Order: sequence, then structure tokens, then C-alpha cells
Amino acid sequence: MKRGNLILLLVVVAVGLAVAAGASILHNGLSARATPTALEAMIARNARRLAIPANARNEHNPISASDETLKEARAHFADHCATCHGNDGRGDTMYGKGLYPKPPDLRLPETQKLSDGELFWIIENGVRFTGMPAFGGGSHSSRDDSWKLVLFLRHLPQLTMQERLEMERQNPKGPGDREEDQEEQDFLRGEPVQQKHAPEHHH
Amino acid sequence: MLIVVGIGGWPSRPDPAELRRTFMKRRVVSLLVLVALMASVAFAHGDKKHVMGTLEKINADSVVVKQADGKSVEVKLVSGTMYVSRDGKPAKLSDLAVGDRVVIHATPNPDSTLSADEIKFSAAGTTGAAKPQQ
Repeated sequence: MKRGNLILLLVVVAVGLAVAAGASILHNGLSARATPTALEAMIARNARRLAIPANARNEHNPISASDETLKEARAHFADHCATCHGNDGRGDTMYGKGLYPKPPDLRLPETQKLSDGELFWIIENGVRFTGMPAFGGGSHSSRDDSWKLVLFLRHLPQLTMQERLEMERQNPKGPGDREEDQEEQDFLRGEPVQQKHAPEHHH
Repeated sequence: MLIVVGIGGWPSRPDPAELRRTFMKRRVVSLLVLVALMASVAFAHGDKKHVMGTLEKINADSVVVKQADGKSVEVKLVSGTMYVSRDGKPAKLSDLAVGDRVVIHATPNPDSTLSADEIKFSAAGTTGAAKPQQ
């Protein structure tokens, strides 16, 4: 095939793909409820890896794991992170499922195989074009908190039910959630059902 | 069209600056209404279901709950289902009994069934005094 014909063929294929993609977007829209394709996920993972400076990747956690530090980090995670990631790190939450890309399941190897330094850097600096904000405040105590969260992330695959229940009590709650909790407790105590919240609206 | 009436009551030509201010006000009000509508919609979001009632049947892979309206709902048990006693302590499926009061937080499946994320329960005949863990 002549070089000119090959270029023409490539242009036709590229234009065809662009038209197909455009038609798909016009027809289906671009919803954040969708799951990213494997190609997008691969590109995003590599972009995230490239965004982390090499010296940050090799940083070691200066804080050692203890019951006390893990308890502190658990409470911190329940308060700041669980809204999107869930107490168990699966990301099965109203906000998590509505993000694009979805928060990763933090218990799985894709996250667990990241180095401590990489996890710390992501907590401190966030991930661009995702829902992950930069939590770094720059202070010494803020850095310590982030390193403690790294310890908790390592602990997530072994999270016990007792710990999850404790975290549920530490999750941020609005007036509606507190009212819903009260309704549940009243019902379990034997009081008649006075459900003010529509069942399908449970968060 | 906006007509500004002067002191004498005769219609005068609309002041362009006044017109701009009026349109700007309308835009701001429309935006505020839109934001308010969006906020009210957001409060109604969330795809979890909330099932409260009395345990009617316990199967190996599901439970049937009779709700206050008399309707029965079947909820599937999955590997991640958490069982929690009324005082907030972890429990297991074998702790449940027919007649227990239950509050189930469930996730709807594409086939319209429900999967239990968490089942809180109080054993029949033990309702009353106990307080949740703080």
C-alpha cells in the first residue's frame, strides 16, 4: 500500500472513531455514574503514579503502628474519609458511587501495593481530576495525622466488625441521620414504628 | 416589557441602567431558586433501602421481614452482611430468631432484590431498657 493511501486510511479510521465517540456522547451523555473503561483506569493509574515525585515515593513512615495510633487514625478516617471511601475502604457509599472515577477499594492490591510514601503523598496532595482532595496542612501535626492514616490503610484488610461498628458511631451525621438513628433505636426498644424517613431515602 | 411610571403617572422611557439591574436581579433570583431546588433534590438522593419490622422467616441466604404496613420483604444475606445487637455489639446470623425486631440497611440489586449491609436486631421479649453503646 502506498504511503499516501495508508495515511488516508488512518485519517478515515481516526475520523470514524471520533464521529462514533461524538455520537455516543450526544446519545448517552457523560454521566459520572458510569464506570471508567479499562483504558481510562490504566491511564489514570499511570498519571497518578507519574504525579508522585520519586523522592516522595521512597519516604518511610516515621510513626510505628500501635493500638493507640490505629485507634486515632480510625477515628480520623471515620470522620474525614469514610463519607466517600466507606468505613471499610470499599467505597460503597452514596458519594463514592457517584464520583468519576470511583474511589478505589483501598483493601485491594492496586492500593495496598503502593509504597507508604506514595499513600502519604496522595493523602497530603490529593489526586487531580478526581474527588480526592489534598488534605495536607503543612504543619508537623498534620503530617503525623497523614502518616497515621497510612498505618490505618495498611490495617484496612484486617478491619474487624467491632472496629467498623465503632467507626459508624464516629461518622459525621446530619440532623436527618441522627433522627433516623433515633427512630431505629426507638423501634428496637419496642416502640411502635413512627418512620418519618421514606425507606428508599436511607443514606 | 418594563414600563417605569413617573411621579405624574405618565409612562416614561425605560432607563437602560434600571433595565440591566432588573434583569440581573431576575438572573440572581433564578439562580437561587435553581440552587434551592438542587439542594432539595440532593437531600432525597441515596440508593440504600431501610427495612424495619419483625422477622418472619430466616433462611440460609435471606430473611423475610414483616413491616408495619403488613407487607413482607425478603432481604438477601451476603458475605459482607453485618449483624449488630441492639446494644451495638457484633453478632451473627445464628443470633437472629423469628419474632425479633430488625432494622436492615440494604442495597438494591439490579434484579430488584435487596442485599443486607447491616442487620440490627433486638430479640423478641427483650425490648425496653438497654441503651446503645456510646
